Amino acid sequence: MLERNFSLIPICIMIKLEQVSKIYSLSKKQQQEQQTNSNSIAAVDRLSFGCQPGRIFSLLGPNGAGKTTTLRMIATLLQPSSGSIVVDGFDTQTQGQEVRRSIGFLTGSTHLYERLTPEEIVKYFADLHQVAPADFNRRKDELFTQLGINSFRKKRIGQLSTGMKQKVSIARTMIHNPSVVIFDEPTSGLDVITAANIINLIRTCKEEGKTVIFSSHIMSEVDLLCDELAIIHKGQLVYSDTMEAFRNLSSGKSLTETFINIVTGQ
Amino acid sequence: MNLILTIIRKELLDSLRDRKTLMSAIVIPAIAMPLLMLGIIALQKGLNDKEKNKTLKVALVNAPADFKKIIADPKITLIQNAALTAAKDSVASESFDALLAFPAQSTATDTSGQVALDFYFKSTNVMVSDRMKEKISLYKEALLADRFQKLQLPKDLLQPVKVNNQDLASTKEQLGVYLGGFLPYFFLLFCFIGCMYPAIDLFTGEKERGTLETLLTVPASRLQILIGKMATIALVGVVAACMTLGGMFVAMRVSTEIPAEVLKTVSDLLSIKFVLMLFAMLFPLSIFFAGILSAITMRASTFKEAQSYVTPLTFVIIVPAMIALMPGIKLSWATTWIPILNISLATKEIVAGTIIPLQYVAIVLSLILFAFLALLISVRQFSKEGNILK
Repeated sequence: MLERNFSLIPICIMIKLEQVSKIYSLSKKQQQEQQTNSNSIAAVDRLSFGCQPGRIFSLLGPNGAGKTTTLRMIATLLQPSSGSIVVDGFDTQTQGQEVRRSIGFLTGSTHLYERLTPEEIVKYFADLHQVAPADFNRRKDELFTQLGINSFRKKRIGQLSTGMKQKVSIARTMIHNPSVVIFDEPTSGLDVITAANIINLIRTCKEEGKTVIFSSHIMSEVDLLCDELAIIHKGQLVYSDTMEAFRNLSSGKSLTETFINIVTGQ
Repeated sequence: MNLILTIIRKELLDSLRDRKTLMSAIVIPAIAMPLLMLGIIALQKGLNDKEKNKTLKVALVNAPADFKKIIADPKITLIQNAALTAAKDSVASESFDALLAFPAQSTATDTSGQVALDFYFKSTNVMVSDRMKEKISLYKEALLADRFQKLQLPKDLLQPVKVNNQDLASTKEQLGVYLGGFLPYFFLLFCFIGCMYPAIDLFTGEKERGTLETLLTVPASRLQILIGKMATIALVGVVAACMTLGGMFVAMRVSTEIPAEVLKTVSDLLSIKFVLMLFAMLFPLSIFFAGILSAITMRASTFKEAQSYVTPLTFVIIVPAMIALMPGIKLSWATTWIPILNISLATKEIVAGTIIPLQYVAIVLSLILFAFLALLISVRQFSKEGNILK
């Protein structure tokens, strides 16, 4: 197994996970369903990796590998059962609010309030992030123009198409100019055009010097975007290196094939 | 505090755009309920008038001449000398409204004995029975008057005690028993229903739609988010209760069936003191409802599941409010500490003007205590990861 030596990673790390585990207890019914005698299961098992500032880090893994759980722990939505996570210098367990000030969080399914308008939603999240009014107006105008939201800014979300909703989700995620952006399978279930918006956003984030961590199982996206990657399987880290090293490892084979080989241990 | 206000502002805007919340918190209590109340009063009156003015078909068997004179009425069609069995069948099939069968040979004399009168009717026709009993009563009085005259006895022989009722309860106190009893029944119910839909929408709905996950990634603490949501639910509950009260008062003023004296007392009731006293109880109660409902709805995964948890709770609210309607149930130091029952009984006493200030203070304090306990329960539930994420 090829793993990075963390002692060699520079101290300047934007996201750092050390021996992070997330254990869930299982009910009798769940034990029967999962055919196990153990009354607990590790969704994430002693996971360690780091993301450098201004780089795009991809978290890869098959369904149920623990990608969403890991990203949710980074975003402070879940607390690790053991280990520590530091984001932008803040501990997620003791400095959750500071961590949330630094992050933007976006998932594939658009999570928006159906009865509000794009303008109201973006203002709401700007207020929650305590963005100063002048900064808000400037940033909102920039984002609305870039994403082409102006034509439907006063329509309720319930009346918008999936693509339009995704644009609003992007504006909502970026309104406070986060230094770390977390994407949980951001293009999952989206059409090609809407997915392209997300790909462009991830690129823009990198250009702006933001740190991006995203989960995916679409190899072409990973190849196109990321600088570093980690592959997890059954909650454990099975591979972590630069994208370049991963490409070299694949020599002659497709990236998907290499990914499958790593996951299956071949 | 700013973050909480931001959350409340957004949740209120969102909730007030939700049709279910609008219906349960504003439209039904403020418009539908008063209309329903006025409709029922008008319907009842209409039915009573109709029954009173309906021409009855009454069959008579062996009726004496004196009785025929008394029963003679333009709104009663008499079927004289009917055959007993056929007439009974006609009453049963509702072709006739009643049958009065006197014996062929009466054992009664001018001064003694009894006339055995068989009165056939259907108890389902309440007004028929009342109207006929009135006529029979007139006949009894006429017979008695005749006998007293013939025996030269004074009329008050059968009334050794003459009772003069002197009701010292003021109209306000009487209202306390009736209006004060059913007022809280309605406003408590609608306060709860008003809290119900926003609670389901703001917790289960947000969890189901995935917006709660997004909200939890903002710098507000979970406690701030919870308080913002709970405050919105409680506010909608208070609005629903106010709408109910307002709607009921408007309905009473519009109704022509309510006596002027009662209306005046009701108008006098609407003093600043009354409103403040009611609100001081309503606010903590609404927070109590919001806390309980939040704790329950955040455990549900779907809107339907939340509804199935919460709907039966409506009966838990109705029962103590109904107990307060029972005669003999009064505000005491023991009932002061039972939520819902205490506010119901206190409203009765406030309307009647007989509330003991110390007991009122104890009720408000107990409601604040219950609101705080409900908040603690919901904080505990909101801190569980399994309750807030799909």
